[in-house]
Amino acid sequence: MPRKILVIDDEDSIREVTQVTLEMLSEWKVQTARSGREGIRLAAADPPDAILLDVMMPDMDGPATLQELASSALTRDIPVLFLTAKVQATDIRRFLGLGVKGVIAKPFDPLDLARQVAEALGWEPEQREIAERRPM
Amino acid sequence: MTRIVMAGFPPEMEKWLKSSFVQADVCCVTGGLEVIEELKRPETSVLVLDHRLRNPTALEILTELHNGVACSQLPVIYCLSEGVDIELTKRLVRDLGVKEILLPPVDPHELARQLARTLGLPAPHRSSDIEEHIQNAVADVRRRFLPVLLSRVEVLEQAGVALLESSLRPELREQAEREAHKLAGLLGTLGYAAGSRFAREIEELLQRGLSLSESQALRFSELTVALRLDVESTPIAAEALQAPEKRPTLLIVDRDEGLAERIEAEAAAQNLHVQTVREFHRVREAVSALVPEAVLLDLLISGKEDEGMTLLEELSGRTPPVPVIVLTSKDGFTDRVEVARRGGRGFLARTSSAGQIVEAVTRLISRLHAEDARIMAVDDDPQVLALLRNLLEPRKIRLETLDDPLRFWDALGSFAPDLLVLDVDMPHLSGIELCRVVRNDVRWAEIPVIFLTRHDDAETINRVFTAGADDFVVKPIVGPEMLTRIFNRLERLRLRRSLLEIDPVTGIWNRRKASQMMADFLDLARRHGQPFSLAVIGVAGLKGINERQGYGAGDALLQRVSQSLSNGFHSEDVFARWSGDEFVVGMYGLSRYDGVQRLTQLLEAVRQQSVQASFGDEPQPVLGAGVAQYGEDGTDLESLCKSAQAAMLHASTGGGGKVAHAGWVKDSPGAMKHVDVVLVMRDEAQASLLLHGLESRGYRTRWLQDGKTAVRLLAGPDPALRAKVVLIDVDVAGLDGISLLKRLAWDGVLESCRAIILTSPSSANEAQAGLELGAVDYVVKPFNSPVVVQHIRRVLDAA
Repeated sequence: MPRKILVIDDEDSIREVTQVTLEMLSEWKVQTARSGREGIRLAAADPPDAILLDVMMPDMDGPATLQELASSALTRDIPVLFLTAKVQATDIRRFLGLGVKGVIAKPFDPLDLARQVAEALGWEPEQREIAERRPM
Repeated sequence: MTRIVMAGFPPEMEKWLKSSFVQADVCCVTGGLEVIEELKRPETSVLVLDHRLRNPTALEILTELHNGVACSQLPVIYCLSEGVDIELTKRLVRDLGVKEILLPPVDPHELARQLARTLGLPAPHRSSDIEEHIQNAVADVRRRFLPVLLSRVEVLEQAGVALLESSLRPELREQAEREAHKLAGLLGTLGYAAGSRFAREIEELLQRGLSLSESQALRFSELTVALRLDVESTPIAAEALQAPEKRPTLLIVDRDEGLAERIEAEAAAQNLHVQTVREFHRVREAVSALVPEAVLLDLLISGKEDEGMTLLEELSGRTPPVPVIVLTSKDGFTDRVEVARRGGRGFLARTSSAGQIVEAVTRLISRLHAEDARIMAVDDDPQVLALLRNLLEPRKIRLETLDDPLRFWDALGSFAPDLLVLDVDMPHLSGIELCRVVRNDVRWAEIPVIFLTRHDDAETINRVFTAGADDFVVKPIVGPEMLTRIFNRLERLRLRRSLLEIDPVTGIWNRRKASQMMADFLDLARRHGQPFSLAVIGVAGLKGINERQGYGAGDALLQRVSQSLSNGFHSEDVFARWSGDEFVVGMYGLSRYDGVQRLTQLLEAVRQQSVQASFGDEPQPVLGAGVAQYGEDGTDLESLCKSAQAAMLHASTGGGGKVAHAGWVKDSPGAMKHVDVVLVMRDEAQASLLLHGLESRGYRTRWLQDGKTAVRLLAGPDPALRAKVVLIDVDVAGLDGISLLKRLAWDGVLESCRAIILTSPSSANEAQAGLELGAVDYVVKPFNSPVVVQHIRRVLDAA
C-alpha cells in the first residue's frame, strides 16, 4: 500500500512541481490542496501518512492550519512538515516548537525533495533513485 | 556466473556494485596478494584495479598479467588516483594494454557503466531518465507560469520606483514584501537560482520599513532589474536539460561533533550543504567522493599537527585545488604563515562562532566562484563533447559545448569563455578557420586555444600552430592528458591576469583589484549589518629616500614594509598598495577600534623588525595609520579612504608610528575644534536629516541653532570652532542669516570657510545679498536634503 502525502500550498506552481517530483521519485501518492481549509477537509476525509504544509498562505496560514489539524482527533496524529522560505535558525526553532516534525526550506531542489521528506519523517528511502543520489 | 574482482576499493564501492550487478559475483579484495590468488580462478571475467593498491602494487600486477600467458586476455579497468601524471596513463594504454581508465574521483555510475560495457551486460538502471522527466516537468511549469512570475516582479518594480521617490505606501510595501518572499521560495525551485537570491535580498530590504537610504533604494531598483532579466532571459528549452543549481557542499574535517552540528544549523540558512568526517583516514576518500566546494580542516584531526599540515598541502595541491580553511587553536603569525605557505585559503580560531565560520566559508566560496574558469568546446562529435563534460564539470569548470561550428560566433560572444577547445576537422567550418577568425578579432586575440586532432603529422601540427593554436591534443583523448593541458593553459592565463591585479613593486594587490574586492566586502557589510574597517598606512620619509638614494632604495623599503605587514593580516583581509607611499587594508568584521588595536600591534612589530636597519644614517622611515569604519566614517570606498587618510595624517603629525581612527578630534577646553560643516539653522528635524546625510558620508559636523552662538564660536580673534563649509539659514534665530554672514565676512572667517545660504522662496534679494557678501552658493527653501548634501559636498570638494 503506497504512502499518501498531502501537500497544502497556495502556489499553483509549487503544488505541481511537488506532486510531479514526489510521485516520480517515490512510490508515494500525492494529493494537493490550495488552502489550509481545503487541506484540513481532505485530511479529515482521507487521512494521509504525512502533510507538507506551506507556512505563508493568505487567510489561514501554516501555523493556524496546523493548530486546526491538531485540534481534531481525526488529524492530530498525522506528521506535518513545514515548507517555508523562512529558514533562519530562530524561525526553525519556533516552527519546531509548534509541533511540526520538520522544516523543509524553499527553494528546494525538486530532485532532492523526496529524500528530504523521507529524512525529515524518518522514513527509509525505499527508492533506489533516492539512494543513488547520495554518492559514497 | 560473471565474476568481477575489484581490488583496493572501499567497502561502499563493493556494496554499490553488488546492488547494481545482482546477477554477477562481485568479489572485493584489499591487498595485491589476494588479487593474485583470485586471478587463479578461471571464472573471473573482469578485473577492476585501484591505483592505490599495494603488495604488490596495481602496476606490478598488471605487468605480471600482461607478460603472463594465462590471463593476458582478461579485461582490466584501471582507476587512477589524484596526482598521477600523464606518463603513467600512456604506459597503461601503450605498454600494458589497458583499455579502460577511469579518472579520479571515480564516479560509481561511470564505473558501473564501464563494467556493463566490458561484460556485455545491459547498463544498470540509472536515475537520469527520471531526472530528465522531472526537469522537463519543471521546465513546463516554468513556461506556463512565466506571466504570473513577471506580474509579481512588476509589483516589486512599482515598490522600487516608490522608494526612489520616497512615496512608498504601507499597502504596497506589504504586498511587495509578500511577493518577494514568495518569489524567493518559488524561483529557486523552478531553477532561477539567481532570481531567488535577488528576491530574498529585496525581501530583506523591504523588512527595514517604508523608507530606505538613498543607496539602499538604488540597490533595490538594481535588484528588480536583475530579477526581471533573470526571469525573462532564462532560455527555457536549454535550461530544461540542466539540473537546477546544487547547493555547495562544505566538508568539515573535525572531531568535535558539537561544532559540526552548530555549523550545520547555521549553514542551512546560507543554503550550504554540510558533510562531516571525523576520522583522519577517511578524509581523502570523502574529498574525492563529495567534491566539496570548501573543506574546513582541524589541523589536529589525526592528533598530530604535521599530519594535518601534510593533508592541507596535499588537498591544496590537487588538480584543481581543494580550497581549505584551517581551524586551529594556535593563532600566531608563524602559524598563519605556515598555513598560507601550504596553500590554506583561510585561517579561523577554534573559538570562532558557528556563524563566523559559515560566513568565512560562504565568502570564500563566492570568491572562488568568481574565479571559476569557463571553457567552450566545439566538436561535431557528441561523444567527445560528452567526454569533456565528464572530465571538466566535476572540476568546477563551466563548460559550453557546441556541435555546430556555424553557431560559433554568437555562442562565443554570449558565453565569453576563458579558453577554447576546437576540433580540427568539422563539416562546413574547420577548427582552423574558426581559430583564424578568433585571432583576427581584437577581443579574442589573446584567448588560449587548444586543438583536438586525429592526426599528429607535421603538416597538421604546422597548420594548427600557424592558425594561432596554443596547444593540441591527439584523439582519442586521454583524460588526464587533456586535463593537464587545459589546466596548464588556465594557470598561465591566471598568471597573466594576475599581472593586471598585482602591484609590480610589492607583489601585493594593486589599487584596482583592491577596490573591486573591498566593494564586495562593503556590499556584504551593508547586507549583513557587519562592521567593515578600512585602514590607510602611510610610509613617511619615502620621498626623501627616493630623492637621496634613488628609486631602487625606495622600492626595496616598500617591499620590506609590505612583506612585514602582510604577514600580520588574515588571508581574508584585503591588503594592497594604494598609492606611492600608502598601503590600504580592508578588514571585514572589525570595528575601527578593533582595527586601531590590531594595526597598533602590527606597526609596533614591524618597527621592531629590521625594516629600517639597512638605511644607516638615513632618517628611519616611519609608518602611520588611520582607520575608518563603514557607516561611521563613510558609506563608500572613497569617503572611507578620505576619512582614514585624514586620520593617518593626524597620527603622523604626532611623530609617526601611531594609529588613529577617523573622528579623532577631541573636544578639549581652549583648543580650537575643526569640523567639515557647520549648520546654522533653527529647525531641528531638518538639521538632523542634513547631519545624518553628511555624517554617513564621513564628514564631521556641528549644528548651531541660533546666529548669536554662531558668531560667538566662529567669529572673533580666537574662534573656538573652524569649519570648511558653513550652511546658514536666513531665518535663523538670534541674529538673522544675512547679518551673520556679514559678521563672518568682516571677521575674515569667509577667507578660510565657504558659506552656503538657505533662502526663502519669496525673496530673490536674499540670495543676491548673500552672494555679494561672499557666500559661494545658495539653496532655495523648501529644500530636499539629499540636494543640499550634494551642494555641500560639491563645495567641500572644491575647498
